[in-house]
Amino acid sequence: MADLLTAYPGAQRALFRAYHIGGCASCGFRPDETVAEVCLRNDNLNPAEVLDTVRTAWEQDQKMLLSPGELKAQLDAGATEVLDIRTAEEREAVRIEGTRHFDQSLMQEILASWPKDRLLVILDHTGTRSLDAAAYFAGHGFTNVKCLRGGIDAWSDEIDPSLPRYTLE
Amino acid sequence: MNDDLESKIQAALQNPQNVGEMEGADAVGTVGSENCGDMLRMWVKFKEENGRKVIDKATFQTFGCQTAIAVASVATELIRGKTAGEALALSGEELAAPLGSLPPMKIHCAQLVEGALKSALTGEAAPNQGPVAPTLMDQFAAPQAKKVVLKK
Repeated sequence: MADLLTAYPGAQRALFRAYHIGGCASCGFRPDETVAEVCLRNDNLNPAEVLDTVRTAWEQDQKMLLSPGELKAQLDAGATEVLDIRTAEEREAVRIEGTRHFDQSLMQEILASWPKDRLLVILDHTGTRSLDAAAYFAGHGFTNVKCLRGGIDAWSDEIDPSLPRYTLE
Repeated sequence: MNDDLESKIQAALQNPQNVGEMEGADAVGTVGSENCGDMLRMWVKFKEENGRKVIDKATFQTFGCQTAIAVASVATELIRGKTAGEALALSGEELAAPLGSLPPMKIHCAQLVEGALKSALTGEAAPNQGPVAPTLMDQFAAPQAKKVVLKK
């Protein structure tokens, strides 16, 4: 599995979206397990089919991206919930009004009671971590999960220059 | 997953029992790593009943999959009134029994709960239940706090 993750960086997202594998400790895998072993203990999945899913992971990732302009339109229409997965410190420094800080209690609320077809947009700093969160919700049956392409950094650049851009040290 | 199991899991999620840290617990057990948020922790409190020391209440916190939350919810109800020995004798499958039979790909969720309970009742660190490979939750659920420096 370690080799697979190295060759296909989006593999973990694809596996969880499609098969609920690798999301957390309860459905994870060891790096030294083979694809066949993981398939065998997960409903005896077909390894060839699983590998095909992983190979198309990049295309699946692209479908989950929302541009800053598209997000603004959704926010203006009140049509989305935006989940901010950055740290409390980052949120304190810079935030988009109307977004919600993602924490354990919100996560449990979402899994327990939110409609599975509600549009959820995941927001991070530069767009590098949000796809993992989006895949996590997709793997739990949420059908309309997106990520802000480029994160809040792109939002500052393209939509609201009054929001300062920042770095993490 | 069959519809009956899915509906029972959803029902457990909509009204999870025994969630949260317990003040004054007699025992605490953890599976997974708190640092990455990918863990399940269980608190247990005992009481005396008819000359036996039995579990009065158990609570849990987890940042795991929804099935793990559902299993922990039903398991903490199931072990009430049992002695530590009786609770330790329960397998993950038995702890999840109120939900019905879990499919193979969900059995790890029950093992996570079993591991936390055993850790609490024996005082021993839970054996590694599964992944050493980073999970999705490792990547996004508990970002490491760093200093924020605004660009000029």
